[in-house]
Amino acid sequence: MTTAIKTVTSGKTTCPYCGVGCGVNLTLPRSATEAVPPVSGDVDHPANFGRLCVKGSSLAETIQSDDRLLTPMVDGQPVDWELAIETVSAKIAQVIKDHGPDAFAFYLSGQILTEDYYVANKLAKGFIGTANVDTNSRLCMASAVVGYKRAFGSDTVPCNYEDLELCDLLIMVGSNAAWTHPILYQRIAAAKKQRPSMKVVVIDPRETATCDIADLHLAIKPGSDAAIFSFLVSDSAQAGILDHDFIDNHTTGFDVALAQANESTPNLSFTAGFCEISAQDLERLASWWRNTAKTVTFYSQGVNQSSSGVDKCNAIINCHLATGRIGKEGAGPFSITGQPNAMGGREVGGLANQLAAHMDFATPGAQGLVQRFWQAPNMATENGLKAVDLFQAMEEGKVKVVWIMSTNPMVSLPDTAQVRRALEKCDLVIVSDCKAHTDTTAMADVLFPATGWSEKDGTVTNSERCISRQRGLLPAPGEAKHDWWAICEVAKSLGFQEAFSYQDVHEIFAEHAALSTFENNGKRDFDIGHFSQITQAEYDALAPVQWPVPKGKSEGTKRMFGDGHFFTPDGRARFIAITPVLPKSQASQEWPFTLNTGRVRDQWHTMTRTGDATSLAKHTAQPYVEIHPKDAKRLGIKDKALVRLTSLYGEALLKAKVSRAVAPGNVFAPIHWTQQFANASVISNLIPQVVDPLSGQPESKHARVQLEAVSDICYGLIVSAVPLVLSDCLYWCQVPSEQGCHYEVVWPNGQTQASLKSIDVEQNQELAEKIEWLEYLNPVTQQMRLAKLVSQKLTLLVYLHPQPEAIMADWLISRLVINTPLSVKDRLAILVGIPANIEDKGEIVCSCYQVGSKQIEKAVESGICSVDELGDKLKCGTNCGSCLPELKRFIPSVAELSV
Amino acid sequence: MPSLVNQANKRRLVIVGAGMAGSKLANDLWQTYGHFFQIVLIGEEPNVGYNRIMLSSLLANDISPADMPLVDTQKMQDDGVQIHSNDPVTSLDLETKRIRLSSGQTITYDQLVLATGSRASVLPIKGASAPNAMGFRTWNDVEAMTQLKGCQSICVVGGGLLGLEAAVGLAKRGHKVVVFHRSNWLLNRQLDEESAGLLLNRLEQMGIEFRLGESPASFLQTDDGKVSHVVCQNGEPLAVNLVVMAAGISPEIALAKSAGLETNRAILVDEQMQTSHADVYALGECCEFDQQTFGLVAPIWAQINVLMKTLAGEEAAFVIEPTPTKLKVSGVNLFSVGKIHTSEDDSSIFFKDVGANHYRKLVVNDGLLVGAILYGNVADGSWYFQLIQNKTNVSDILDLLIFGEAYCCPQVA
Repeated sequence: MTTAIKTVTSGKTTCPYCGVGCGVNLTLPRSATEAVPPVSGDVDHPANFGRLCVKGSSLAETIQSDDRLLTPMVDGQPVDWELAIETVSAKIAQVIKDHGPDAFAFYLSGQILTEDYYVANKLAKGFIGTANVDTNSRLCMASAVVGYKRAFGSDTVPCNYEDLELCDLLIMVGSNAAWTHPILYQRIAAAKKQRPSMKVVVIDPRETATCDIADLHLAIKPGSDAAIFSFLVSDSAQAGILDHDFIDNHTTGFDVALAQANESTPNLSFTAGFCEISAQDLERLASWWRNTAKTVTFYSQGVNQSSSGVDKCNAIINCHLATGRIGKEGAGPFSITGQPNAMGGREVGGLANQLAAHMDFATPGAQGLVQRFWQAPNMATENGLKAVDLFQAMEEGKVKVVWIMSTNPMVSLPDTAQVRRALEKCDLVIVSDCKAHTDTTAMADVLFPATGWSEKDGTVTNSERCISRQRGLLPAPGEAKHDWWAICEVAKSLGFQEAFSYQDVHEIFAEHAALSTFENNGKRDFDIGHFSQITQAEYDALAPVQWPVPKGKSEGTKRMFGDGHFFTPDGRARFIAITPVLPKSQASQEWPFTLNTGRVRDQWHTMTRTGDATSLAKHTAQPYVEIHPKDAKRLGIKDKALVRLTSLYGEALLKAKVSRAVAPGNVFAPIHWTQQFANASVISNLIPQVVDPLSGQPESKHARVQLEAVSDICYGLIVSAVPLVLSDCLYWCQVPSEQGCHYEVVWPNGQTQASLKSIDVEQNQELAEKIEWLEYLNPVTQQMRLAKLVSQKLTLLVYLHPQPEAIMADWLISRLVINTPLSVKDRLAILVGIPANIEDKGEIVCSCYQVGSKQIEKAVESGICSVDELGDKLKCGTNCGSCLPELKRFIPSVAELSV
Repeated sequence: MPSLVNQANKRRLVIVGAGMAGSKLANDLWQTYGHFFQIVLIGEEPNVGYNRIMLSSLLANDISPADMPLVDTQKMQDDGVQIHSNDPVTSLDLETKRIRLSSGQTITYDQLVLATGSRASVLPIKGASAPNAMGFRTWNDVEAMTQLKGCQSICVVGGGLLGLEAAVGLAKRGHKVVVFHRSNWLLNRQLDEESAGLLLNRLEQMGIEFRLGESPASFLQTDDGKVSHVVCQNGEPLAVNLVVMAAGISPEIALAKSAGLETNRAILVDEQMQTSHADVYALGECCEFDQQTFGLVAPIWAQINVLMKTLAGEEAAFVIEPTPTKLKVSGVNLFSVGKIHTSEDDSSIFFKDVGANHYRKLVVNDGLLVGAILYGNVADGSWYFQLIQNKTNVSDILDLLIFGEAYCCPQVA
């Protein structure tokens, strides 16, 4: 054997996006100046077996960001860590002294690691003495947590991903997994392809890409989901398919729940009417439900983000308990989380209504147990403030110091105006982030530079309870530090040296594991005692494993509740009597539209990461609102035109996407665009702070709005070598670009060449002499285009047109970096928008291979009649596959062909 | 059969004027219908059959005299075409079908073609006819200019095509040239202000001085009648050695008028190019059709074709079509065609790249391209010209039209 020194050249880690938690192979660049090579899927990871979606595939593009926060900042000034920590801890100490521990709060994130969560939770609940530890997970799956806890006595996800492939009936509720959890969707699609008898039902007010594989789509009235499941309980009883053994031996409360179901949803036609679907469709679902033991109900934000989200979850769980379809292969109520480590946060207790390690304040003996384990001097004794309440208390002056970590509440919490008021009122806003500029860092008094994905080191848990390592493979840039380190430093500075003197992150994981097993003895579902003595080497080598992993069961646990034992005091699952209710705010004459919110395929959350990958901006470049053609016509709204949405709380400007995917009277808008990317498209501006009374989860998928076409405007494209301040624009959206800056804009009418030229004032007098303006003016088409050249090199392009126009900006952007003077041909072409004789691809459909709609249309015209053939010809859809649903729509159906 | 036509039976066709129109008509007729006609070509200049368009290039030394011929007069003469040069016609008798030349010779005709051309307009200013005030029309004029030695101060009156070509030619020969131009911008019939500005810059770089929006107030003459100074409108006198008159042309119609043919600004012709008198035709710069006169070569070539057919007894009719203009100055590319000054229901599309000396303006009306100015890059000129001529509907390509053929018809490229 040779003994050559090996340096790490690659490693396995976990994707930082959705709750699927895919394994990723990251290859390191050979030197710091080189770009990180594209990542690949980890074939050994049980979540994805080597596959990655387009977001995951683009991870390498997001690593070297231009906008990293590299040094601590206090009041806008860079400082060293020592001073930053001192500033923060002094203020915390003073506020606790003057106003009590509840004047402090953590607002955390499903993107921080379990170890970060653990020390934050420990510091707040055991040492500062407040349970004000909440997280953006509140916005995503708090209702699912409470639903599980009410039914099972614990926050336990019963299923695993295999169940999605093994079931015979999959009911997907409030989930557009095709876009939000692409790898799970692809596993489902593959299973269905292999076994076409498997039925997929989608319950969603919208016709989403997920409907592509559905045998049945129930486009229900928004928020009416619970009625479907209430009906299924009474229908199951009538049809005689109840699992009486299971009900009798392992549950309580069935009779009350059934009586309520019979009353709430007395029959098929009533239920169909309540949900505004056809009785025939509902009967199809019911008959499949009756005849399919192996049924998984797969639910996500569409269920959770609701003023009755917890009840919806329990309506779903009731159905599975009543038929005993739980704890078995291919069966169970399966909540899917939106964040990479929402589950890890739940496990440590990083929510205001949890204590620690799946124990609540109300759990008998739990406070003492945790206090003993932590040797905690200042134990919190009751629930803290949940996200919306927390920011309301902040506005009322009750919370005076908030430490926000890895999240963007200025965009993600409902009613942005309120969040702004709260943060403005708060004495000290600390924000830990890897990004320098977010809508939330803009509100901070103190900024802590955090490590980001590929640098962060620790564990995450995915939606199927699978703990995997996110590994720190790249060095932290600048002064960036791990979040756990910053928390511990503040803790030590507050005088808690002993409890927070971890040398390495595995020690935290070991302590977390030790707490999970401390005085547990099978009483609590969450037990990873196997890891309570984990060494650095073992931690480094940790392979993905599903908890519980109690001592002596190193292989973990694939599926829960197979034994019918639950974690309630009597060990029985509880039925909850459910009265289906519609969302709090219903459309009215004044607010005639119902706004639904969600995600686009290639962005994630508030774009702080995906916004760095230019390839991901191609699929959907601008914020939009989906509107039914009937409504669009009535309001004079054209496709791609600018639309103003107004609610009681604020407004947003979005591009219209006229589509039959939404029902008349309903509109849909994706949530991703922050003020870093668009000046006036923050959707949370419109959302009321209506929450589920039990979970505190906001009803973010439901707002009442007005819609109007914005008039007297013109549309534009700006490509600039440098960032611009576009204060004259009514609307601007910065589309991530390979170089320079690409803006899509809308101006008020009346722009002149002079006003467009004034977008960019050349400061440099020396350069001013070398400036040339190229102009194109077409009063017939009302087009105006300007190009600014400095020393014959392109620095700015401005296009103006009366109607929204899709200009392919890529080539124009590529002209920005030409180091030689522009060619004569290009001097003309930059005002045309395309080089002569270059193919116009149309809008990009396949992000992986950059295949556009026009190319696909052409191929279809040439006789291609399947997605596979398209893939052979253009490669589209052959990598990540997330565009397959869209590709299918280009293929004419057999019926169309025969006409 | 043509070969059987006896020389004595040939019609005698007399062409008065051996400029471009007359010479080419004689040549083409001789080549195509020589067996029908006994052709007589009469010119007042010593040189006949040369290409007048090339005079500016000759002046600018871009070509040599050997490049000047338009037709092969020697060959024509060898084949029986009679050519009388340096011998202007002094009278015309329509009744007797007879002309008299300056030399005293009289010639009868069966059919007569007047191709008397035009002369430089003489400004109504005292001294405008001075011996050192000349036009820029003939080979003689150019020869006079090429004989000027050293660096002379020369005043060119008129900033149209002819004036600018003269100015550039003279400047290239090392003279100090000042151009007076009545309009506010150069080539005001062919260019708009913007493109004229680009041209002005270019010509100023060549050392030519311009006085725009200004005609000379008067000329100061020496005792021998020569112009010594041009007086500007502000009274400032500029010393000059020579004045070149290029402020428009006047059709030469004296002969036609005195013979009693109907004239207006020029000799009136119908669409077969016939004058008010049977067997008498006119073409070129001396004719007027549909209230228009002609100074560019393309319509005149068209007239020649019509007239040839008319004389041969075939059906033909002359129609006016837009004609593109180019400036024959090396290093300056400009192209102008059709209607370039917009009226109310026209619209103009612009492209401007001052740094690259590239400018385009298109005038469209009701889905049709009706006019175009190209400066700097004129490659698309012929395409625009075709669109205008063919009345192609351009409604669907209005957003790309100004960027040229490559963008509008990518399959062509």
